[in-house]
Amino acid sequence: MSDGWPPEAVDYVQAIADTKLMLSHWYAEQAFIGPNIQDNIALFSLTQDEYGQVRQFFLQLEGQGLDGDRLRSDREREEFHNAATTDEPAPDWTRFEVRFGLTDRAAHLMFDAIVHDDFAGLTEKMSEEEYSHFDFHDGWLEHLADAEPEAFRAALAESLPDVLTFIGPAAYDDDTDPLVTAGFTDRSAAELRGAFLDHLEGIVEGTAVTVPDPDPVALEEWDERRRRVAGGGIGADVLDSIRGTGNEEFAVR
Amino acid sequence: MSTQNVRVTGSGADPSQDVSELERRLVDRIDADVMDPHIPVSLVEMGMIYDVRYDDGDVTVDMTYPCMGCPAYQMIQEDVTHCLLSVEEVEDVEIEVVWDPVWSKDRLDEDVQRKLRESGTAI
Repeated sequence: MSDGWPPEAVDYVQAIADTKLMLSHWYAEQAFIGPNIQDNIALFSLTQDEYGQVRQFFLQLEGQGLDGDRLRSDREREEFHNAATTDEPAPDWTRFEVRFGLTDRAAHLMFDAIVHDDFAGLTEKMSEEEYSHFDFHDGWLEHLADAEPEAFRAALAESLPDVLTFIGPAAYDDDTDPLVTAGFTDRSAAELRGAFLDHLEGIVEGTAVTVPDPDPVALEEWDERRRRVAGGGIGADVLDSIRGTGNEEFAVR
Repeated sequence: MSTQNVRVTGSGADPSQDVSELERRLVDRIDADVMDPHIPVSLVEMGMIYDVRYDDGDVTVDMTYPCMGCPAYQMIQEDVTHCLLSVEEVEDVEIEVVWDPVWSKDRLDEDVQRKLRESGTAI
């Protein structure tokens, strides 16, 4: 596909970009507190990757007429279309990995499905970078599912519905997903959900954790722009942090 | 990557199209003046410059990055712009960041790989 984007595609790419922006934020925050120095270093690297990818997604959105300055620094909280799993920090390491590791995986599946010519090479490069993310996250997720099955189960029950809602409703198949029918992606939300759940099954295989029955996400309740079913969003303190409000006096003009 | 190999890749560049003497000089200028800020090789040696096109005072540079989150992303583009604006025939410079084809270590020739190893960079 080489012509203009359908409106749903702009929303789709912004949701991926905003989710990655929040992943970058939480990775950076966690990078100061462990669980150990090797993970700190890895998390800083993940932060840098995510932020670099956000920069390119925002440039693509600018190409579709969105205001770049607004995307980068002038938005209000309700204008962020990040996955609900990335609204708040994770209170412990198990929930950090389940929330953000699985959201990172979902975002990759979503951008990897884009086949529009504007993303030629771009998503391939991002996928190269994501390889190290999955090395890191999947290793931890497999370990935590085995070592702390109860905490892992609880974290999964808390986060899985929001991750699947971010990917999209199960009712969107090859014939009904507007992104597929417009030729912007080559895999429907239903197919991406299936791929995500297959991957998750592989992670918990051989442990005491089982994957809960997935919520199909009711199409009539689903907010296509924000890719969630309920309201909510990032807090005012998080917005200040993303904007760098507290550091404005140090900015080079 | 040598200056002779610029405009050999994708991003809309026609590999069969001849490179003018002036365009070759512009690539040489980047090679001489703009170093990768992290390692002791030029952007051209790093294979980050895909194409340099000159049209009546306007120069367009297609370039890429080995790392999408490069902290020197903007600084490098400004270095290239300033470097080319110092050439008498150049009035304006536009940088186009491209990702197709994706940069890889295959773009480093043996001499560059040696320089990187000697600087302590794993490749």
